[in-house]
Amino acid sequence: MKKIFSVRGILGLFLLLATIYASVATYYKIKHWGFSYKPTERSDVWTVDAHISFQPIAGQPIEVSLASPSVGQKYKILSEDVVAQGYTSEKNVKNNRIIMKSKPRKNVQDLYYRIMLYDNADTKGKIYETAPKKVEKPKFEDEYQEGQIMDLLALADRKEGSSPQRIIRLLNEEPLQPEVDAFLPVKRTQQIMAEKIIYLLAVKGITARVVRGVKLSENKRSTPADLMVEAYEGSKWIPYNITTGKAGLPKDFITFQRGGVSLLDVTGGENSQIRFSVVKSVISSFKMAGRRAKYEDSRLFDYTIYNLPSLEQNVLKWLMIFPLGIMLVVILRNIIGIQTMGTFTPMLIAMSLVKTGFVSGFICFTLIVGFGLLIRGWLTRLNLLLVPRISAVVIFVIVIMQMLTIFGYQLDYKILATAAFFPIIITAWIIERASITWEEEGARNATKQIVNTLLVAVVTYFVISSTYIRHIMFAFNEWNIVILAIVMLLGTYTGYRLSELKRFAPLTKEK
Amino acid sequence: MFASLKNIFAFFSMPQKLRAKGVLGMNARNYFVIGKYNKRSLYPLVDDKVQTKKLANGININTPHMIGVIEHQYEVKDLLKIVEGHDEFVIKPAHGSQGKGVLVIKNYQDGIFTTASGKKLHFNDVYQHISNLLSGLYSLGGQYDVALIEELVHFSDAFQNFSYQGIPDVRVIIYKGYPIMSMMRLATKESDGRANLHQGAVGVGLDMQTGKAVQAVSHNMPILIHPDTQADLMTLKVPFWREHLLIGSQAYEMTGLGYMGADIVLDKERGPMMLELNARPGLAVQIANGRGLKEAIKKVDKYYPQNLNAEERVDFVLNNRF
Repeated sequence: MKKIFSVRGILGLFLLLATIYASVATYYKIKHWGFSYKPTERSDVWTVDAHISFQPIAGQPIEVSLASPSVGQKYKILSEDVVAQGYTSEKNVKNNRIIMKSKPRKNVQDLYYRIMLYDNADTKGKIYETAPKKVEKPKFEDEYQEGQIMDLLALADRKEGSSPQRIIRLLNEEPLQPEVDAFLPVKRTQQIMAEKIIYLLAVKGITARVVRGVKLSENKRSTPADLMVEAYEGSKWIPYNITTGKAGLPKDFITFQRGGVSLLDVTGGENSQIRFSVVKSVISSFKMAGRRAKYEDSRLFDYTIYNLPSLEQNVLKWLMIFPLGIMLVVILRNIIGIQTMGTFTPMLIAMSLVKTGFVSGFICFTLIVGFGLLIRGWLTRLNLLLVPRISAVVIFVIVIMQMLTIFGYQLDYKILATAAFFPIIITAWIIERASITWEEEGARNATKQIVNTLLVAVVTYFVISSTYIRHIMFAFNEWNIVILAIVMLLGTYTGYRLSELKRFAPLTKEK
Repeated sequence: MFASLKNIFAFFSMPQKLRAKGVLGMNARNYFVIGKYNKRSLYPLVDDKVQTKKLANGININTPHMIGVIEHQYEVKDLLKIVEGHDEFVIKPAHGSQGKGVLVIKNYQDGIFTTASGKKLHFNDVYQHISNLLSGLYSLGGQYDVALIEELVHFSDAFQNFSYQGIPDVRVIIYKGYPIMSMMRLATKESDGRANLHQGAVGVGLDMQTGKAVQAVSHNMPILIHPDTQADLMTLKVPFWREHLLIGSQAYEMTGLGYMGADIVLDKERGPMMLELNARPGLAVQIANGRGLKEAIKKVDKYYPQNLNAEERVDFVLNNRF
């Protein structure tokens, strides 16, 4: 008796350690690799290309400085790349700028800065910063101009919303009021609109600045930077859309630069231009996890199954569900006490059912075994030796599968067309054993065993066919060690099986 | 609804009740008893009936006389030569279990084999049966097997009315050489001449001191009379009881297995004979006796002396009631 307790003690300790390890690994995977316990989890990944072009000034060394998006906001950077041949590039982390340098050049230069971003759901759009210097009120050239501006502000006050919103809405009205029309220049680019808004806000004594960035929308091609205006109100910067006046940073806006510093500085070049292209791609959590891990330089990831080619991954994904099925078989046999044909036969049937779909697989399997038993009954009369006979059954099973599949396809019964997914040898053995049991122990025992086997197969099927469970067993495959520990612990279970409570019930009945 | 639930529970008993009764479960049997006292390397001694028979004959334990052995497929055609001079015999797989593949020929005349159940077989049918047997159809794990042909047992008149066809046998459970529990297995119409309780045979629990019936069960339920022969099962008493126990007890030294079942038949002329040994005897004997094996095992561990020889162990069992 004592021995078992020490064995149990060791296995219990193993289970405990396995559980701790699995929990830590799961936490790590969720936290650092972005794994999700939900099977459908997919992430949007945005590829933003900043295309810089300029004409070098002859004989001058070139230095390009580009504001880069700050990490840790709404979106996180997955990867960052500079494509600039012959340039040295470095990242100035303090000022968040990408610096590209080169010796003097002649022709028009095209430099690319590419970032991949993914949604980082936990941050909010508001930016807290130390209070900026109070804005200086612009001086007016003359009384006429002063009057014009004051009229504009008075008009703005009739609009709804906060001060910046009123001004933005006034400047974007359709149609524009004559006073506004006169105030705005003929060419009304985003840049000019933003400047005008900031000017009017300054008159009102509100500090404001331009925000440059990229609005992530699908298939954006060569567009200039998107602008927003940020006004300092209370103790925080609030960004506004410069056409609608909507407050707050939109979900899909990537900030490259804010305030006075420029988005792009090119020394040694002229007519510089920056254009943005955006491509959105959807990627599974696993693939992304790999990219994230690589960006964070995690060597660990290289030795996981998620870094394998997808073919191997799919095979392993299939294998990872086995331990759970095996545990189920152990429980059903040693704890519940269900007798089945062959230890793992039900699990193999269940796995075929996963591939065929439940209803069609079930019907198909019943048909194969039914036909098989008929043929096997006929084989009995031929008095064949065992090995050739079972081989004949195997071949008959193949023929049955082939016919079911062909007829299923031609008659458009999809149900039958799944026949080929069943493991041939296993099916043949089930037929052989059912037939023998039938002859030896009667139809009742044979039916009972088949029903038991199918019952266990169905239970196993429902566990392993759940996409949720399959995803979890793959994404957090360290839990298979926990299952191993549980299975080994079950190997020391010496209590009664559930079926024995019924079997031995007469022993406890009072006579 | 509540009543029906209660009905369902009536078929089950609580684990603690079984424990209190000392019932041995399958898991506990495998872990504490078989796993502990039966060395795997000793299994071939009992899994191969030919070997068991040789061992038994070596220490003068009675077994049915062997007529011959067919080991290879090409020998099957020589069957008639082997059984020449015998008009009744039994063909059994050397590695079989639960009576599977046992063919009892009651009469062989003019090329017609008559089985115990009256079926008439031609040489071809018997040939086929032996071929199946050799290819491992009835053996444990399906490995190649050997056909053992031995003399038919003429079971004692003492059991004349107790069995519907088939041979009634006594199963004795031996733990550390002590016979601790036994039952008689009686074939019924339903069990088709076989002695397996789960196939519908009747199990009669036997008193260890006297060999008298304690109680009888059919399909786990207590009965008093044989369902086919109407014999009063409570009048059953196994003659030569001490000899029965002695065969079981001697099997301990013979095989070294700490826990086993010995199947013993009583021949009219030759007395008790060992049919086969089983290293993993089933647990149905508990139901037939209405008491648990675990309890019996505990008693052996606690009170029974060690280092006795087979005769002394049997005497100890016969004289001490715990």
